[in-house]
Amino acid sequence: MTDLNFLADDGLVDALTIEIADLLRRLINEGEQGAVDLLGLPLSPSCVAALEQRLGQGEITAVLDAAGRSEIRETGFPGVWWTRHSDEKGRVVAMLIEVTFVPDILRANIDDMALGCERLTGSTHVARSQPRSAA
Amino acid sequence: MTLLEFARGPALQVSVLIMIAGIFWRLAGILLLRRRPQLAAPRISPIGQIGGGLSTIMSRFVPRRTFWPRIAVSVVLSAVFHFGLAIILLAGAPHILLIHQLTGFTWPNLPKGLIVIVSGMTLAALIALLIRRVGHPVLRLLSTTDDYLSWLLVFLPVLTGILLSGEALAEYGTLLALHILSVELMMIWLPFGKLMHSALVFAGRGVMGANFARKGAAT
Amino acid sequence: MDDSENLGEMLARRGFGRRSLLKFAIAMTSSLALPPFIAQVMAANLAKAKRRSVVWLSFQECTGCLETLLRSSSPTIDSLIFDFISLDYQETLMAASGAAAERTLRDAVAANKGEYLLAIDGSIPVKDGGVYSLTGGRSNVSMLAEIAADAKAVLAIGTCAAYGGIPKAHPNPTGAVGVEDLVSGKPIVNIPGCPPVPEVLSGVLVHFISFGRLPDLDELKRPLAYFGTTIHDQCYRRPFYDQGKFAKSFDDEGARQGWCLFELGCKGPTTHNACASLKWNGGTSFPIESGHGCIGCSEPDFWDAGGFYTSLAGGSGTGWRNAGIAAAVGLAGGAAVALSARRKVDTDPDKTP
Repeated sequence: MTDLNFLADDGLVDALTIEIADLLRRLINEGEQGAVDLLGLPLSPSCVAALEQRLGQGEITAVLDAAGRSEIRETGFPGVWWTRHSDEKGRVVAMLIEVTFVPDILRANIDDMALGCERLTGSTHVARSQPRSAA
Repeated sequence: MTLLEFARGPALQVSVLIMIAGIFWRLAGILLLRRRPQLAAPRISPIGQIGGGLSTIMSRFVPRRTFWPRIAVSVVLSAVFHFGLAIILLAGAPHILLIHQLTGFTWPNLPKGLIVIVSGMTLAALIALLIRRVGHPVLRLLSTTDDYLSWLLVFLPVLTGILLSGEALAEYGTLLALHILSVELMMIWLPFGKLMHSALVFAGRGVMGANFARKGAAT
Repeated sequence: MDDSENLGEMLARRGFGRRSLLKFAIAMTSSLALPPFIAQVMAANLAKAKRRSVVWLSFQECTGCLETLLRSSSPTIDSLIFDFISLDYQETLMAASGAAAERTLRDAVAANKGEYLLAIDGSIPVKDGGVYSLTGGRSNVSMLAEIAADAKAVLAIGTCAAYGGIPKAHPNPTGAVGVEDLVSGKPIVNIPGCPPVPEVLSGVLVHFISFGRLPDLDELKRPLAYFGTTIHDQCYRRPFYDQGKFAKSFDDEGARQGWCLFELGCKGPTTHNACASLKWNGGTSFPIESGHGCIGCSEPDFWDAGGFYTSLAGGSGTGWRNAGIAAAVGLAGGAAVALSARRKVDTDPDKTP
């Protein structure tokens, strides 16, 4: 298979960097979140690697284990997160650069919390020793 | 059937057949013209009749110096257009591919960037030639429908070809269909108007040169 | 399965929390080329969604479209969502057959009147009263008319259902047509391809469940998100096309270097589909990446559009024989006219040659 390294386009990486900076400025000044869908752009693998290298690694790496593995990593630039979602078969189904305080997917969901609360209450010895009331 | 399928299918076949039949029709007509019998004795020049014919074919490429001031503009514009079109057709990759698919012959092409530059010059020359024809009082007087129609049917393929290679203004499929259809229209008209000179010009010069050589005149 | 349960509750019951659903929505949003912030809205809507009935009728088809869309054996979140969509009738997959199958179809239609989605694969033959494709003695034409009448929307899956496909190829002995030639007054989505890219059907269904309407369509009724660009626009070999580096034959040096396949008949520039970006078999590859040019299988009448190996820079030639005949006809005609003109000149003393 041919070497596709020549397809790494510095111009494209620069353009994306400028867009991300713009989104970050908007977050700082107006509190508005933003995101760039990387799979929706015609980026070659070397282009993606070049962008990843440009953005670097930050202080947080979170691994999400839900319907497959996902990695949510803060880049070297606070507020700029690199999110890579894979399905159960390990295939990348979404790759985004999220410009936000905390990516939404890391926050606990209120419906999940409600169900969890029920389970938590029901998990005590006291609850388990109670006779089950008719549903 | 989409426009593109029509252009690449039945329209292509019909237009090619009409063009071939038309060219042979006119050739038959020309070859069967009565020729005035040459009663004088031949004074064949050293290069012979064939040599005379070939010599005239080449010499007519260069305008006579006496006329040069008056015809310079049209000669230059015409040369740019004709050579430009020849380069596009014979050295442009898609046209070489077309000929390869039809006949099996192939040869190397020129880089796309070069063809783009040449195409621009060809288009500009065409437009300039039209402006000259319409602007010059004598030319305007002499111009017929054949002149304008022939110009249009050559202009459209060059224009649509440029748009197609730049994939500009419309979808690739639409541009390709329009380009092929415009070429087909030109092919259908070719045998019946002045575009026929493309098939006749060298033969015409050659015959004239051969006749001059027989008479011992300069070629 | 409890019919009053919504999708969020069903997933929670199966151990998938809202993060899984949000992740799925993020993936779908990307696939549908929607802006990223829509994912939250989609996830919220999906959580509240109720079961949607889908009736699938297979007509004059090869079953390739169904095969491409079948769920894998492992219970991924995608497969659960499709369980939720409730495929109420599909002849190849369901256990019932014969009279029991017909009862299943009638019950599904009656129970979900006006709300079910009708999915069709295969073309519909109309010649000779539609006798060339029957199910249980009943013609496809008649089944389509009846079942489409109470459907909320019709999905024509695969090029055969969308435009007639291979049965419609010349000479079309069975009079095959696509769904849109027979159904009117209903929203129709064409999902062409031979077979179609599986993610397209997922995307359309998810969009419908999340937002209650079909995604934006182009003039051939294909979802713009997947069919808005051509293969050529997304092809990774495009730099080679732009540089004029073409493979001249299969397995030559250019082909081995992965150069553009335009000269080998690739129809990428005139074909709209998502193959070059979504690819096949879970993003593994697509025809061009495997070394064969695109055959244009998501465009109408692609079987009749000339050879797969004739490039777009060519078409169907006349052949040397026909060209020779044309030349002979021209020569004969021209000669006849010329000779008659000569005779007129010879017999008319006033005319000079």
